[in-house]
Amino acid sequence: MKFYRIMAVSRRVFRGVVNDKRSLVLLFLAPILAMCVFGVAFSGDVENVNVIIINQDQGFTPPMGDTIYLADEIVNNLNTTTLSIHNMTSIDDARAEVESGQASAVIIFPEDFSENAILKSQDQSYPNSAEITIEGDDSIVNIKTAITTTVSTALSDTLTENGVTPAIQLNSDPIYGEDAEFIDFFVPGILAFVVYLLTTILTLITFVNERSSGTLERVLSSPVTEGELVMGYAITFGTFGVLQVALLLTIAILVFNIMVVGNVLLAFLAVAILAISCQALGILLSSLAKRAEQAIQFFPLVILPAFLLSGIFWPIQAIPEWIRPFSYLVPPTYAANACRAVMLKGWGLDKIWPDILALVIFALLFLGLAIWTLKRGKN
Amino acid sequence: MKTKEYAILTDYLTKNYGDFTAVNNLNLKVDKGEIYGLLGPNGAGKTTLIKMLCSISTPTSGGARILGKKIPDGDIASKIGYMPQETGVYFGLTVDQNMKFYSRIFNLQGEKAEKRIAELLKFVDLEDWRYEMVDNLSGGMKHRVSLACTLIHEPDLLFLDEPTVGVDPELRVSFWDYFEQLRDNGVTILITTHYMDEARRCDRIGFMQRGRLIAEDKPLKLLEESGKDSLEDAFLAFARNEDTMRMEAV
Ligand SMILES: Nc1ncnc2c1ncn2[C@@H]1O[C@H](COP(=O)(O)OP(=O)(O)O)[C@@H](O)[C@H]1O
Ligand SMILES: [Mg+2]
Repeated sequence: MKFYRIMAVSRRVFRGVVNDKRSLVLLFLAPILAMCVFGVAFSGDVENVNVIIINQDQGFTPPMGDTIYLADEIVNNLNTTTLSIHNMTSIDDARAEVESGQASAVIIFPEDFSENAILKSQDQSYPNSAEITIEGDDSIVNIKTAITTTVSTALSDTLTENGVTPAIQLNSDPIYGEDAEFIDFFVPGILAFVVYLLTTILTLITFVNERSSGTLERVLSSPVTEGELVMGYAITFGTFGVLQVALLLTIAILVFNIMVVGNVLLAFLAVAILAISCQALGILLSSLAKRAEQAIQFFPLVILPAFLLSGIFWPIQAIPEWIRPFSYLVPPTYAANACRAVMLKGWGLDKIWPDILALVIFALLFLGLAIWTLKRGKN
Repeated sequence: MKTKEYAILTDYLTKNYGDFTAVNNLNLKVDKGEIYGLLGPNGAGKTTLIKMLCSISTPTSGGARILGKKIPDGDIASKIGYMPQETGVYFGLTVDQNMKFYSRIFNLQGEKAEKRIAELLKFVDLEDWRYEMVDNLSGGMKHRVSLACTLIHEPDLLFLDEPTVGVDPELRVSFWDYFEQLRDNGVTILITTHYMDEARRCDRIGFMQRGRLIAEDKPLKLLEESGKDSLEDAFLAFARNEDTMRMEAV
C-alpha cells in the first residue's frame, strides 16, 4: 500500500464532488433543509389544543367560612399554552363540537365537585368522590396525552395550594437532559441519518460511474490496488461526513438553539467512522448496478431500514421487540446513539466506546467486503 | 537455454463467462517493439483478452507472461498503459484534473508531471481545452484525452482498445505516426481497431473469431495468402475457412 496513491484517489474523488454542483447541494444544502423542515415540523410540544370546559360546580361552603369553588381553581391552573379553553354550559352542544372536530375534548366538572372533594378529603369514609370527566377525541395520542397531563398537573397544583398534600408524589428530577426538547433528541439522530444516507448514495452513484466509464478498469490496471482505491474513497467521504456534521451542528446551535453538553469532537469521530462504513456500503451496492439509473432502485433499500430502525425519529424502545435486533444491524443506530449520549448527556469516550467499537467493526467489515467484491469482479 | 523474452506471451489463455467461452485457449506471441493489431467482429473476445493481459480480469485457465513476468505482477502494472474501450476518463473532471490524477498514481508530480502533461496535450491537440470539463468535449476529443492519460507514465507496453473511434481521419494519421515513433523507441503496442487503413500499418495482425486466433501474419502476407485485396475480405476468407474446418471436424 502506497500512501501517495491513496491520496491521489482521495483528491480525485474530492475534486469530482466539488466540481459537481448537484453533489454539493446534495451533500450540504439538502441536509440543512431537511433538518429545518423536520426540526420545525417536529418541534414537538403540542400547543393550542381546543378544549371545552363545562363547569357545573356549585361550590362548597364549609360550616364557618366562604364558599370554595375548587373547579374554578383547577381551571385557572390549566396551562393555557397547551390548552385553548372555551367555556360552555350544554354538554350536548360541547359533544357536538368535539364530534365535528372543532374541539379535541370536553372537560366536565359536576355540580357536587367541590363538595365531594372536600368532604372526602376530610373523611375518607365519605361515600362519594369528586370526578372530572374528560370526553375527547382519543384518536390522536399526542393530543390526548397532552390534555390528560395538563389536567392532572393543574389538579395536583390546586390540591397543593389548598394545603392538601397527596399521599404519594411522583418526582421527576433530570439526571441528564434538563430542559431537553424534542429537537435536542432529534438533531443527533438526523446528523447520523444524513451522513449515512448521503454518503451511501453519493458513493454508490460515483462508483457506478467509475465502473461504466472504464475508469475503474484503467485505475486497477495501474499499480493502484483495490485496497488503495477503497481507502482513497474512505478518506474523502469520511472528511465530507465531518464537514456535513460541522455545518449542521453550527446551524442547529444557531437556529434551533440545541443542547450540546459534551465534546462535539466525539460526535465528529462517530460520524466520520459512520461515513467510512457507508462509502464502503456504497461501493458494495455499486457492484449490483450497471448504470446510475439502476442504482437509483437501491435508494429505498438504503433509506427505509435506517429510517425505520435506527432510532432517529423515535427511540429504539418504541420499536416492537421482535424487530429490535435488526436495529442493531444498521450502523446509523450506533452513530445516533453515540451523538445523543455526547450531546445530551455529555458522555465521554469511556462511556460511548461500545457504540464507537460497533461503528469501527461495521467500517472494517464493509471495507473488507468492498475490497473483496472489487477483487471478485475480476472473475 | 535462454528462451526469447516476448512482450506478450500467452499460454492457452482462456476466459469463460458461465457456459460461454469468450477467449478460447489462446496462444499469442507479441515481440518487443512491435505493433500488433487484433482484428475481429464485435464479441470476438478482443477486449476480454486485453483485460486479462492487464490483470483486471482473471483467466479461467491458462496464463500469460508480460515483459517476461508472469502476471499478475505488481511491477508490471507500472510498465503497461491500458486505454479502455469506454475511454476511462472522468467526465466530471477537467482534462487537466484527469491528467494530474493519472500522473499522481504513478508518483509523477511537480515539474516533471507538468512537462509531460503539456507535451501530451500538444500531441493530442487539446492545449486549448486543458481546463474544460471532459463531459463538454466531443467523442473524438474524449478519446484523445484518454490516449494522453494512457501515455502519461511512458509505458513500455500499450494496450489500446479501439483508440481511434470517432477521431477524425487527419488526427488518426498523426496518432499512427506517433505510434510508429513509439515503436521505433522500443515500445510495444497491442491495438484493436475497426479501421482497415489503420490495420495495414500494424507490423503484424491477428484475426480473432469466437475467442480464437484464426490467422496471424504481416498485413501483406495475409492478403497474399488469402488472395484478396482488402483485409476485410481476407478476414472473411479466413473465417469461412475456419468454419468449414470446424464442420469437417464435427
Ligand atoms: N462480464 C461479462 N459477462 C458475460 N459475458 C461477457 C462479459 N464480458 C464480455 N462478455 C462476452 O464475451 C464476448 C466477448 O466480448 P469482448 O471481449 O468485449 O469482444 P470484443 O471486444 O471483441 O468486441 C461477448 O460475447 C460478450 O458478450
Ligand atoms: Mg471490445
